[in-house]
Amino acid sequence: MYTLALRLLGDGESARDVLHDAMLKVFQRIATFRGESPFWGWLRQIALNEALMRLRQHDRAESSGEIDAFVDDAPGPWAHADAGTLERALARLPALTRSVLWLYHVEGYSHPEIAGLVGKSVSFSKSQVARGTQRLREIIDPPSGTVSCLIATAN
Amino acid sequence: MSDRNRQLNRAPWDLAEALRALPLQAPDHSAWPELAEKLSLESGVQDHESKRSARIRRFVVPAALAAALACVFLVAYHARDSRPPVAGAATATVSPLAASSSLNSAKVDNVHNAPSRAEQLAALQQRSQALESWLQETGSAAMPLQGQDLAAATEIENLIGLVDVELSAPRELPDANLWQRRVALLEDLSALRYSYQLAAGGRVTAASMTN
Repeated sequence: MYTLALRLLGDGESARDVLHDAMLKVFQRIATFRGESPFWGWLRQIALNEALMRLRQHDRAESSGEIDAFVDDAPGPWAHADAGTLERALARLPALTRSVLWLYHVEGYSHPEIAGLVGKSVSFSKSQVARGTQRLREIIDPPSGTVSCLIATAN
Repeated sequence: MSDRNRQLNRAPWDLAEALRALPLQAPDHSAWPELAEKLSLESGVQDHESKRSARIRRFVVPAALAAALACVFLVAYHARDSRPPVAGAATATVSPLAASSSLNSAKVDNVHNAPSRAEQLAALQQRSQALESWLQETGSAAMPLQGQDLAAATEIENLIGLVDVELSAPRELPDANLWQRRVALLEDLSALRYSYQLAAGGRVTAASMTN
């Protein structure tokens, strides 16, 4: 739950708040759960809703364009990047883009489902996946002639 | 998660695999102490309220009942003393036989007119689907909810999620009560979205609200 919130919000403190609020809700409503089905699904859904609520609250500050759905089919540099590099690159994406990317690739939601969750259109979800992927590619393996901030920081 | 396993989702560059392989994260300090404190505070409030309601049940309710009985007795006693005799007073009452027969016929009508369990369930599922479609249609075009409305909507969505989890459990017969609950929650969510859009000056089609 914490990892999910952290990936969506990109901020440890906010993720902790989400964990706190989600667990509080779970304890408050535990009596309504009849135990006939997997509990973790419900738990995860509550955490996701809490994180998305915070994301939507901060959504106005972010761009919500539905363009640039550019898809690069070339093998990604994440294949040979270590976890730390990928995490740092992920953290540099805008929160909404990172969330859509995470929901699509890791949580397994479809574009229509993501559109419903974030309150945007299906094409928005698609463009965010394409844009986020391209941006990750550029951050991890910058085009020649530019200096990556990650490399610059490491040096 | 319908197209999770489709080839389309399996990106040729395998970003999904790389993201899934990232290690799990944990907060730098445990969230449990704050949570436990909050929960104990809440349970303290609940204890206080339950003690208060127990006290009410034990003393206040019997006292109120006794006072009400005394009042009824006094009023009846005074009314009996002051009431002028009425010649046709008995005509206002309904004979037990007539009352009984009318009650029985009403019961029979109800039996004939009551929808079957399957019909009720189908109606609930249809209503649920209509509400969900309306929410999806308006959701993408409508203004995003803010503040308390957003919190309330999230609350309702969580409860709907809980009902969905319960509904997904294998059982012999579908649970009409759960479907009833789902429809009620969807109606709450629709009402919230509708009132928010009205307040914000947005245009919402109310046609499906009345379906």
